[in-house]
Amino acid sequence: MATATTSQTRNTVYVAIFAAMIAAMGLVPPIVIGIVPVPITLQTLGVMLAGALLGPVRGMLSSLIVVVLALAGLPLLAGGRGGLAVLLGPTGGYLLGWIFGSLVIGALFKFWVLRQKSQTGRIITGLVSVIIGGIGVIYLFGIPWTAAVTGLDLGTSAIGAIAFLPGDLIKAVVTALVAVTVHRSYRALMS
Amino acid sequence: MIAAQNTSYLAKLPAGLKFGALLVLSIGLYLIGSWQILLVLLILSVLILLSARVNLRQLRMPLVTLLLILGIVFVSLGIQTTWDSALVSVLRLLTMCMFAYAVSLTTTFDAMLELFQQVASPLRHVGANPAQISLGLSLAIRFIPELKRVYLEVREAQHARGLANNPLAVAVPLVIRSLRIAEDTAEALEARGYDSAEHSK
Repeated sequence: MATATTSQTRNTVYVAIFAAMIAAMGLVPPIVIGIVPVPITLQTLGVMLAGALLGPVRGMLSSLIVVVLALAGLPLLAGGRGGLAVLLGPTGGYLLGWIFGSLVIGALFKFWVLRQKSQTGRIITGLVSVIIGGIGVIYLFGIPWTAAVTGLDLGTSAIGAIAFLPGDLIKAVVTALVAVTVHRSYRALMS
Repeated sequence: MIAAQNTSYLAKLPAGLKFGALLVLSIGLYLIGSWQILLVLLILSVLILLSARVNLRQLRMPLVTLLLILGIVFVSLGIQTTWDSALVSVLRLLTMCMFAYAVSLTTTFDAMLELFQQVASPLRHVGANPAQISLGLSLAIRFIPELKRVYLEVREAQHARGLANNPLAVAVPLVIRSLRIAEDTAEALEARGYDSAEHSK
């Protein structure tokens, strides 16, 4: 009983610290790229890192906590957004996508990436995993959501998402490199 | 979106009622296809927001972001379909968000969180532990300012080393220091005998 309790409290603390990291990354002023004012924040980097470092369940819970706190009214999302309007608005799907994105990244890291023996193998599989979960899954929720809510067709909705793609690819590379580096020194992080 | 200071008539309504009304309204708005009716509803929603004397300063940034996105949606939808349907779609989203702001800005964070916990309470039967959920939520809130401080510190330190533009040089120390904070906190909780496991079995 004692050991089960110990690891449960410890897991909750890990979930909370990564939730706070996602939130803190949204508090840093956003960068505006090009003519179209697309706010680029590090927030999805936090979502990717939570999955890649904590695994599927704890990673998903970290994203879930941020979504719950934001919907309950804390202005935690990029640009100081929060409240129920965030979910009802045109970009609500991306927010839901975070939860499943970190779940998929976590599962791929746990069952695929960390079973690779070589560092290069881990970095390559890690990058593929983060792109699948952190870009593929999140866009899979975000693009149809925007289309459904606004009435735009899927193609136009997808073009809108492309503006985020360069930033997200950079974040995916950073996540893969950071996760592989950190897992090398913290071997027990996901076991 | 902090509603702590709001004492209007809307703030006195129970959170569950407002939440339910918002849900019904959002579904209802999708059934309306005329921009004239939607415009009336939009004006109504703005009047409700104003009558609830919400802190409008909090709405500035979210509204700018929302209007930018809706502007892009309006133009592309207008080119693709008709300007009439573009107007309907944009007015509907704007109205929905206004009603949502009215709920969020008149409901305290605590009341909203409590409502979510009630909605999620059936999860208890599939193994979710309410004590752990509360600990997770409150720790996350507690850690946010600390992690922001750590993030700025790491960035400053790497700037001094000429590494400010190297994302890895910032992210790796940030993650390592976060993990260390988590470990210290977990140890402190355990040392004080914190135990949130269920003993009912």
